[in-house]
Amino acid sequence: MSAVPEKKPQAPPPAKKRRKKSETRTALAEGFWTNNPVFRQVLGICSALAVTNLVLNTLVMCLALTWTTALSCLTVSLLRNWTPHRIRMMVQTLIIAFYVILVDLALKAYWPDMSRNLGPYVGLIITNCIIMGRCEAFARSHIPGISFVDGMASGLGYSMILLLVAVVRELLGMGSFLGIPVPGFSGVWDRWIIMVMPPGAFFTLACLIWIFRSASAGREEKKP
Amino acid sequence: MSLRDRPWYPVLYMFVVTAFFSTILIGFSRLTRDRVEVNQQVAFERAVLQVLPLDLPDKISPPEVHRLFVERIAAPTAESGGAYLLMQDGKPAAFALPVQGQGFWDMIRGVVGIGADRQTITGISFYEQNETPGLGAEIVQPPFRSQFPGKSIARTGKPLRILPVGTRLGPSDVHAVTGATQTSTRLERFLEEALTRWRAEEERSE
Repeated sequence: MSAVPEKKPQAPPPAKKRRKKSETRTALAEGFWTNNPVFRQVLGICSALAVTNLVLNTLVMCLALTWTTALSCLTVSLLRNWTPHRIRMMVQTLIIAFYVILVDLALKAYWPDMSRNLGPYVGLIITNCIIMGRCEAFARSHIPGISFVDGMASGLGYSMILLLVAVVRELLGMGSFLGIPVPGFSGVWDRWIIMVMPPGAFFTLACLIWIFRSASAGREEKKP
Repeated sequence: MSLRDRPWYPVLYMFVVTAFFSTILIGFSRLTRDRVEVNQQVAFERAVLQVLPLDLPDKISPPEVHRLFVERIAAPTAESGGAYLLMQDGKPAAFALPVQGQGFWDMIRGVVGIGADRQTITGISFYEQNETPGLGAEIVQPPFRSQFPGKSIARTGKPLRILPVGTRLGPSDVHAVTGATQTSTRLERFLEEALTRWRAEEERSE
């Protein structure tokens, strides 16, 4: 069926098993914290600002991005020995676009309201630098298993920050969480309309980056 | 010389990879095509119901939308100038006129509701657009749309004007979306086309 050759990852010899486990842990830690795509690398900011005024929209966006990053990294890694060096960016873009269009079609068919809410931002995942960054920096030189974990960790690291931004914005701007009014924030609370507008995203994201960077600064400086 | 050293290998490789992924996408899009079409139909029917004076609840499920549409709305007739009809006691109580035209990025499709007097606008709704989020796309939001009900289609000159925010409004004017000049002027242009045709049709029938 497929004309594309696929290489199965070879079973690692037992001695390497422990190293592989720690590799997985490193990849996860990098994506979540030490090399978090949003507050460390400051990538994917466009969607971090655009789709974070409601928690539900953000959740779907994050799932779509994590799915795309993880599977694109896996595919790029599977094809890494066959892809000619000079056209690798084209191939990566093609693979990323493939997974994004799948999500877009699925949303259009099975969740049209969400598809309308997210509008062009699902399609714009293709240009999200996090995905190509991971494909280029990691997946094309590593075996499929760890590339998948690395892509997923980056996606989850991105999701963590986006969801925090969305929770703050929806709570302060609408007084609700996932559309359910939160006691103390609905009624008496004077809703900060600016939080659901674009400037609210800038304020929230800037504060979060500040907090997270301060929290991780000490550890970074200890490094040689 | 192995296959991978051949000068045409990258071309062949790209061709094969593209063919493989496109095949899956084409298959999946065929699989979901019917569902997507049903969704678009419901979006249109919802827009029609929204612009007519029907007092509907905010949230109605797609099957409910379709049931109401079939029950209450009549297809365009020779006299209705392309508009769908809301019938009451055998007479048209309101019209839903489909409008469409090129927006800034893509086609905008919507519906304008017009009262039984064939002159008062009862509402406007868009069911397809890809304008800039936060700017042009604000035309689908209540602040812009809620300006339309009660406006009257002018008898002469431009039937409906979309003016910059800050200008004084007449009975046939609404304010544009600030920062979305292109969307606003294009919207004004195709609304003008559709409403001029509507006005001519009406004058002819009188």
